[in-house]
Amino acid sequence: MNTAGKALLAAGVATAVAVVRRRRAPRPDDSGRRLAVTVDRAPEEVQSSLQEELARWRDRAEISIRPAAGDKGTELVVTPIGDVSRHELRLALRRAKSVLEAGEVVQPDTAPTHPGPLGKALRLVTSRAGGGGRL
Amino acid sequence: MKALCWEGINDVRVQDVPDPRLLNDQDMILKVRLSTVCGSDLHLLTGHIPFMQAGDVIGHEFMGEVVEVGPGVTRHRPGDRVVVCSFIVCGRCWYCRNELYSLCDNTNTNPAITQHLWGADPGGIFGYSHAMGGFRGSHAEYVRVPFADHTAIPIPEAVDDMSALFASDSVPTGWMGAELGGVKPGDVVAVWGCGAVGQMAARAAQLLGAERVLVIDRFDYRLRQAELAYGVETINYANTSVGDALLEATGGRGPDVCIEAVGCEAHSTGPQYAYDQVKSKLKLEMDRPIAVREAIYHCRKGGSVFVLGVFTGLVDKFPLGALMNKGLTVRGAQQHGQRYIPMLLDRIASGELVTSHLATHVMPLSEGARGYELFKKKEDDCVRSVFRL
Repeated sequence: MNTAGKALLAAGVATAVAVVRRRRAPRPDDSGRRLAVTVDRAPEEVQSSLQEELARWRDRAEISIRPAAGDKGTELVVTPIGDVSRHELRLALRRAKSVLEAGEVVQPDTAPTHPGPLGKALRLVTSRAGGGGRL
Repeated sequence: MKALCWEGINDVRVQDVPDPRLLNDQDMILKVRLSTVCGSDLHLLTGHIPFMQAGDVIGHEFMGEVVEVGPGVTRHRPGDRVVVCSFIVCGRCWYCRNELYSLCDNTNTNPAITQHLWGADPGGIFGYSHAMGGFRGSHAEYVRVPFADHTAIPIPEAVDDMSALFASDSVPTGWMGAELGGVKPGDVVAVWGCGAVGQMAARAAQLLGAERVLVIDRFDYRLRQAELAYGVETINYANTSVGDALLEATGGRGPDVCIEAVGCEAHSTGPQYAYDQVKSKLKLEMDRPIAVREAIYHCRKGGSVFVLGVFTGLVDKFPLGALMNKGLTVRGAQQHGQRYIPMLLDRIASGELVTSHLATHVMPLSEGARGYELFKKKEDDCVRSVFRL
């Protein structure tokens, strides 16, 4: 591997570590913050499908809906109750949105069998990237 | 099956990989007929976009024949000939409903990466890194097409395979730059970059009524191709002052619309190129925005700049003062292909939009590595290498 390659590998690993650390150590004031996602469906439609899509969260999160401004659908707002994994909750919200809007959650393609060192570092990121982020 | 895989920096190889299979009800499997390299692939090859795994199948501009559909697919059936947009779209989120397809909310399976980088995640792309969903690419005998009803578009009988191929990405990307850049009848339009996307942006500007179109590049063979195909005017920046030429061509005003079709690894001449190379090598800036700077600087007061080239992150020496004080409108996007592809296929069928000349090097997939080498080094007057499967 040439110098540029090594630098890129190092950058990739650093990015991976930074993202994973960030997910493991959320900012202190993040813990009580509500999570929200906007679903491009009418409030009645979202309300009627919620029981099914978010049933397992009924006792662990307070779920409310409100119309989104400007014909953008319905805002689905969730307040975690107690020690709830925000990663799992984000994932659940994203999945619910995708099912409500598109009818299913798109599955990623099969991963390569020999990802290499950079690929292995990247897998640390992608293993959490479905439920991470700014939602 | 055989597929062209990214195996490391500047290392692509044909490998045996498992056949794709239907993973969702709305998937279909396509037998790829033609798949072409794209300038944006070079950012993967060079490692500029560091979200690849060895063994990832690359390629995102393609067409082929449907061989299998999931139970949720209603618009395609086995035997259909389709062109597939490089962006995978659900077709039913707010962004898709508003024809901002590349911003689809439901197709990036790894949204956190781009959310951290950019504040929000765009849609998924075939063969374009795990930051964009980790989907397998099209340089393969078969490819899985998620949300097939919305991602793939039928090809009219009057359009041959090679012409249809470029309706997958370069044609709609170019068209979008001209249309969303606001080209109007009588405008003077300048396009930076004379690859396939730049040529298509230039042709789109003509079809939208531009009075003069000037294309800027450093390769005479690409400029000649655009002159011959579309009758545009050309500027070779290696031996001409772009600013002086544009001022002369526009009576001292500058172009009404400037379209950047170069991207994050731009080349140039003079000290600014050395500056950007050093800074990007040291990772003090992520992208080299040379053409964007020029477009903003040379655009007329109150004009419009559209950024079509792929950029990944932070840039240096961005001319915010020129943008603000000249009252410019600057816009950019990945392609909203589904918005344009049916219309563009009709224009190709009618003969007003010629695309097949872009395929300068057609070869079997087994020569994939050579195809990228030709394309990357601009050898043998290569504009696009196309793999026939």
